[in-house]
Amino acid sequence: MARRLPLEGIRVADFTWVWAGPFCTLQLAHLGAEVVRIETATRPCVTRMLPPWADGQFGVNRSGYFNQYNQGKLSLALDLKHPRAVGIAKELVAKSDIVCENFAAGVMDRLGLGYSVLQRVKPDIIMIAMSGYGATGPEREFVSYGPAQVPLSGMSSLTGYEGWPPMHAGVSYGDPTGGLHGAFAVLAALLYRARTGRGQFIDLSQQETSIAVLPEGVMDYTMNGTQPPRNGNRDPHMAPHGVFRCAGEQRWVAISIRDDAEWQRFAGVIGCPELAADLRYGTLAGRKAHEDQLDTAVTEWTLARSPEEVTRILQGARIPAFTSFSSKDIAEDPHLNDAEFFVRLDHPDVGVRQHIGMPWRMTESHCAVRHPAPCLGEHTDYVMGKLLNYPAEEIRTLKEEKVLN
Amino acid sequence: MAEQALAGLRIIECGHMVAAAYATKLMADLGAEVIKIEPPRSGDRSRARGPFPAGTAHPEKSGLFLYLNTNKRSVTLDLRHPRGHELLTELVAKADLLVHNFPPPEMDTHGMDFAALSRRHPPLVMTSITPFGLTGPHRDYQMTDLTLWNAGGVGYLNGGGPGTDDLPPLKAFGQQAEFQGGLNGALATLGALFARTQSGDGQHVSVSIQESVAAILELTFEFWPYMGLVASRLGQKPIQPLDFLECRDGWIFLCCVEEHQWQTFVDLMGNPEWASMDLFSDRLTRAQNWDALKLFLQEWAQEQSVDELYHAGQARRVPLAPVSTMADLLASDHLKSRGFFAVIDHPQTGSLQYPGAPYQFSVTPWTIRRPAPLLGQHNAEVYVGELGLSTAELAALQQTGVV
Repeated sequence: MARRLPLEGIRVADFTWVWAGPFCTLQLAHLGAEVVRIETATRPCVTRMLPPWADGQFGVNRSGYFNQYNQGKLSLALDLKHPRAVGIAKELVAKSDIVCENFAAGVMDRLGLGYSVLQRVKPDIIMIAMSGYGATGPEREFVSYGPAQVPLSGMSSLTGYEGWPPMHAGVSYGDPTGGLHGAFAVLAALLYRARTGRGQFIDLSQQETSIAVLPEGVMDYTMNGTQPPRNGNRDPHMAPHGVFRCAGEQRWVAISIRDDAEWQRFAGVIGCPELAADLRYGTLAGRKAHEDQLDTAVTEWTLARSPEEVTRILQGARIPAFTSFSSKDIAEDPHLNDAEFFVRLDHPDVGVRQHIGMPWRMTESHCAVRHPAPCLGEHTDYVMGKLLNYPAEEIRTLKEEKVLN
Repeated sequence: MAEQALAGLRIIECGHMVAAAYATKLMADLGAEVIKIEPPRSGDRSRARGPFPAGTAHPEKSGLFLYLNTNKRSVTLDLRHPRGHELLTELVAKADLLVHNFPPPEMDTHGMDFAALSRRHPPLVMTSITPFGLTGPHRDYQMTDLTLWNAGGVGYLNGGGPGTDDLPPLKAFGQQAEFQGGLNGALATLGALFARTQSGDGQHVSVSIQESVAAILELTFEFWPYMGLVASRLGQKPIQPLDFLECRDGWIFLCCVEEHQWQTFVDLMGNPEWASMDLFSDRLTRAQNWDALKLFLQEWAQEQSVDELYHAGQARRVPLAPVSTMADLLASDHLKSRGFFAVIDHPQTGSLQYPGAPYQFSVTPWTIRRPAPLLGQHNAEVYVGELGLSTAELAALQQTGVV
């Protein structure tokens, strides 16, 4: 029997924006919560204003960035700068289980929507604030965006080609890492509330959730007073270990040789018995000492092949290898398509587009994206009328007065 | 003090390296009771991976293992042995949750059989964090963090920018594919446990690490279905400035997402003439002309101090950030004031600072109740004290190498 979704009946008042906060509430929507995003046309979410726009045409409902990370949510157009809007927001909170926000610390308090206020509105509310620096400490009001968390957390000082300056991660890594920690924390608080009836406030610092995934850097420093050098794709415990150029325009394959036996198989498979026989390369220490030469030898072999062929040959010998996938490779990957990872729903402004779904499956709770990302204000009438019981005429007036905007 | 959020939750973890161990660490630090099952003699593979004090490998001194396994107990058990399967089944029958990250080819041989375990104990939630999930053509592939980071598409996005065609896609530091898998595993598992509060029944949760990485492609993935474009590390960023500048005493990251942030920064620089050029009139054109703009900015920045510029920018609400070293983090007054780094005493390494609570709950505390366990430290406590084996039986199991 198909069961209810895990969070069916749980409502989230979602004041988040950009990526970290919306990524947190996306997980809650994936698990079945009714997530109501509070947004306004006077200052739309940053992601509504950024490309990619469907077919290159700008529009607040046409951004792939917004439409990816707000799947399955509802949109209430409510301008919190308007004095009457704050009361409406509180009415929504009174009918919600969870409040999420990721403004800089202090912003919700100044809007009159801080935890001490919302707790009076809904005593068992669970509220999470996911600011860049956390709700306390001398830098609490500093502004932060996901891309800045990569350097701030220390990840950039550890990441880069050998001999190069500090580098980035490729995505605004602090955002999803903060968002996932946030969703986990909210779920833990929900389980506690289910047991005790008590809500609470969660203070999440994106800086801290970003440091939480760098233990090998931090612990090297606290143990030894040093930090690992930037060394590209290399690994202290595996060699060869890199991303190697293949035949074709910007085609690359990642390969890891985990131990001596794997090295022997690898040398055999690539047709270099002389490498297998060379005692210098028989141990990890030896391969690390001659890694540049080995990388050259590996590249000679990969350059003549597509990354798919390299993957097939090496995986056939149980050696870790995989194409460095581009977004197109991901979109077309037979495995991911077989696994029904992608979501293809009809969106009123952009039609059917391929979106990324959720990375988990459950045998009983059939989590699925139930509707595409909302158009700005698409659910204003539903939220105001059905959830908050405003008569149609008053909703019309509030729209005219730009409270609902 | 209130009890912890996940107090009373009983977990069996069969984890190697990061993904399963981080998922259960998140739960253990919020009060769950975790028994970690490790292979006799060698233990979790992260014990062989550093960092180690003075760089000297020692199975009880791996910084990665010590961090990932706080608040857990350790028993050893050979899961490939028939008696190991039986003991696993008994341990699981007393638990709410089993979390593992054996890849599919190793699941059966290690007893990770949801159908059988669930028949014996229907409330069981079992979470499998695997490279590609439990079905599909790549299911049985051998993978590492590097190959998964690339399979998920984030690797392809990172590199030296325009003009660095010869340099490969670059991984981010550490075991980030596994951390993403672990985070998704942790939250999906709590979802399944919340469902169980209604239904009473457990279920099998499967998390794909490749999908976990592909889920964080930010705005890049949708360039393909929305515009027919493939994002590349060699292309321009969609908006600028979002880049590193070298100051006289280190590196800073300049981040101006919104127009007013850029305008304020221009003001902070004293409104140099070049800043008013049409080439730099909005965040999109600043991205198109970033090679020129970066030269101007770099010339200005090289006279500045990181700390002064960081604070001057933040005082005007420009989201600048320093490129922190580990030393900077440990010395940060802000992180100290929040009590972020936890001091944890361990019998083999003594007292060390670890990354601590990534969030603070107002009612239910995040706590360290015990350091990471020694290999098999809790064998007698668990097998004799909780499963009811006799001391002689445990000795026999140790004799035969099952424990």
